[in-house]
Amino acid sequence: MTSYSKEVIADLVAGTLPWPQTRRVMSAYKDDDRFFKYVSVLQDRVGWSDPILLPVGDHLFICQSGEERVTKCECGHSFGDYRRNWKLKAAIIVRDNEELLREIYPNSDLPDPEWMEIREFICPKCGTLHEVEAAAPGYPIVHDFEPDLEGFYRDWLGKPLEPSSKGG
Amino acid sequence: MLDKPASALRIRERLIESERLMDETGCYDGITELKLRNQDPLKFETLHTKLRAYCVSAREMARRISASPGVREVGEMVVAIYTPEGDAIALSNGIMVHVHTMSRFIKWMIRNGYEENPQIRDGDVFANNDAFIGTVQVPDVMDVMPIFHSGRLVGWAGAVCHELEAGGITPGGDVALAQERFTEGLFVCAEKVGENDELRRDYVIRCERNLRMPIYWVLDEKAKVASCIDMRESVKALIDEIGLDYWMQVSKEFIEEGRRAQLARTRQLTVPGIYRGHTFYGHVTAGKPGYQPLGDPDWLYNIPIEMEITADGKIVMDFEGTQPWGYHSMNCTPAGMDGGMFVTLTQHMNFEGLVNDGAWMATELKLPTGTWTNPDNEMVATATSWALLLPAYGVFQRLLSRSFIARGFVEEAFVGQVNSPMIEMGGQSQYGTPFGMAHFECAAAGSGALAIKDGLDTAYVGWNPESDMGNIEIWEQNMPMLYIGRSIVPNSGGAGKYRGGCSFLSTWLVSKTDHLRLVTSEHSSRVFDNGGLCGGYPAPTCQKHRAVRDSNIFDLAENRAPLAHHTGTNPYRSELEVRLEGEHVTLEGPYITAPHKTGDVFTHSYNGGGGYGDVLERDPVKTAWDVENGFLTWEAAEGIFGIVLDEDEEGFPVANLEATKRHRAGMRAKRLARAKPVSEWMAKERERVTAADFAPEVKKMYASAIRLSPRFTKDFSTFWDVDAKSTFGVE
Ligand SMILES: [Zn+2]
Repeated sequence: MTSYSKEVIADLVAGTLPWPQTRRVMSAYKDDDRFFKYVSVLQDRVGWSDPILLPVGDHLFICQSGEERVTKCECGHSFGDYRRNWKLKAAIIVRDNEELLREIYPNSDLPDPEWMEIREFICPKCGTLHEVEAAAPGYPIVHDFEPDLEGFYRDWLGKPLEPSSKGG
Repeated sequence: MLDKPASALRIRERLIESERLMDETGCYDGITELKLRNQDPLKFETLHTKLRAYCVSAREMARRISASPGVREVGEMVVAIYTPEGDAIALSNGIMVHVHTMSRFIKWMIRNGYEENPQIRDGDVFANNDAFIGTVQVPDVMDVMPIFHSGRLVGWAGAVCHELEAGGITPGGDVALAQERFTEGLFVCAEKVGENDELRRDYVIRCERNLRMPIYWVLDEKAKVASCIDMRESVKALIDEIGLDYWMQVSKEFIEEGRRAQLARTRQLTVPGIYRGHTFYGHVTAGKPGYQPLGDPDWLYNIPIEMEITADGKIVMDFEGTQPWGYHSMNCTPAGMDGGMFVTLTQHMNFEGLVNDGAWMATELKLPTGTWTNPDNEMVATATSWALLLPAYGVFQRLLSRSFIARGFVEEAFVGQVNSPMIEMGGQSQYGTPFGMAHFECAAAGSGALAIKDGLDTAYVGWNPESDMGNIEIWEQNMPMLYIGRSIVPNSGGAGKYRGGCSFLSTWLVSKTDHLRLVTSEHSSRVFDNGGLCGGYPAPTCQKHRAVRDSNIFDLAENRAPLAHHTGTNPYRSELEVRLEGEHVTLEGPYITAPHKTGDVFTHSYNGGGGYGDVLERDPVKTAWDVENGFLTWEAAEGIFGIVLDEDEEGFPVANLEATKRHRAGMRAKRLARAKPVSEWMAKERERVTAADFAPEVKKMYASAIRLSPRFTKDFSTFWDVDAKSTFGVE
């Protein structure tokens, strides 16, 4: 069975594993012990101790926070119950005019702000840009991911989660 | 040597039985146990490798027969071997999208009584390019030949080439101007086009008289027949070696194994749950010549996708909430939607093991009737279905990628494919002869970023994982235009911690012709038809076309003055305007105008991929390299990514890490100061929604989605706390 050291996984996640080695990881059979190594790499990275249950973005994690399961930014800011759309608790910048769009697209033709806007979902504490939506004006904000967290741990990982009194 | 069947094939009954067994047991053709695999796994694997080798070598051989630069240069071809019921056992590399569309074509013939008439006999060649029978678009012409052994139908060999000319209302294959089936070009509808291993002469004559450039289509037909015969003979020799009973059993086990492997891989690489995403496509044709007033000239489509990964590892994709089909060339049939799913899966999950139709069986597509994904009218045009397919499957790639990120397989996460607009042409060639061609350098767009590195520059398209733009010299042999530039477009990848791959732009001088028609397709107007992931931005994908008619380029050349080789980086004044005199044209949406002639200059830009991650985390050192090499501009490095660059002694950019840190802290503070709570934005936005204060095309989009989809209506109403129907005047 393929398996890598935690250091290799850490470098891979950080994008610092040398390319020839990364290529070999991509071409090889997948390592079945990846998930918990990955979570422990991320746990070392964050500055807080709530156990990470599932990463859902580059700096966003579902974690066990006391009796609750919440979506948390890497900086520690909580967006609340993981079953709700974290974006609704975020801060937002909407680029819906030429000047604001031009900041990101300095030399290309721009979308028509009457037809499309850029929405940036930002952590209100640390300012990390977590997700960008390109949508027509008035389009409902997307709830990107509703994981079957308990089913995943129980049926796929074979390690059922401890029952949580709140937050599923 | 031909092998006559001993009795009626009754393959139709066999197909029905096979489907019944799948329903009953949940396993392909009732194969609940992989007996031969368990008996001798090594033999099992070796045989599949052999079949794959037959396919790969047949395709390479056939590419040498073709006259089309699309097939020879760019590799727009795929071949596969099927069971008698039409399920793919093994396939070559190439445009793998068609492995399952050919499967639909074979099954269609079986279901429609082809055994009785026109009969299925050894040496027959059947061809099809009808998307409602089983292909994606009119230029995707497929040929299949039955494989007989000991008087029994034991399989099929099939091949597809993407034709560069289909004889439609506009030249090329993607026929941008087609608004109904009847203007798409030459249709071959599951037709017997050859017997005794030879194409029928009357069929070849029909092709020669109905296409602008028949040499491409006809020689591709010969290439496909040759590859089918090659595969057929290899399979027959293999059966001689392993025995017929073994073949009939092992070919099914291969597929069942493929199905199980797909389910297992989903459980290994992803996380169960519901994933959602969307993208858009804008089409602007008002006032353009040639369009019939059959529908709205300008429209906006939303393409939402909900993907469920079930507890047993099945991937279910649901397109509910998208737009109705229309009088344009971008509709898609379920066969095309299947094909898009298949080619995406083979790239993301089936990178090892037995790749075949089993993977497709472990997935499900929900395509609402009446939408562009499943038109309830078979007269609609599908010639440019990639225009919507590529953005849609780009969304699928982002949804899958989120699951890879959640599971820890960050090296597989990929922001995905984008449209790569195609330029098609026809008229009088540089040799003074009539011609027509789709220019396939579009098969090398920028890819989306990965979760661990930048995307590929000018080296990826979703429909063919073996991307290639082809050599300039070869294209110049085939069209009356000369390249005066082919260059990377700076900042054309979506911004992010890892940027999307950049696109390129070609600049041509029209040469040695008085009549060159240029038409473009798959270019979304006014909206991005791609996205970023985890904080990355979409790539700029709503480019306009720029051209100069009656330019003074020959005078400039004679005086050895500088020419324009690209459009430059000033969006308000292009290099063409700076360097060339003549009639300057900037056109939004599909390029459909009067013919060009010698001395005109035309440019066309392809698309880059979306970005990944927060721009403020981008590596300053890599960015300096990008600026030095023209992938990013100095202005973008500082303005978008917050990276301060200095010049070294020789004038090359070097990252100033300290200044970058300070600049980024300022940008982050500015970002926080500018941002407001989503709840606040929503409260204000709700007023606009309540008043339906949107552009007419946006309003129309909402009304259409509401009419077709109860779920969209409910979601919209709940999200904004409005009555969606009354807001948009839907009964
Ligand atoms: Zn934060």
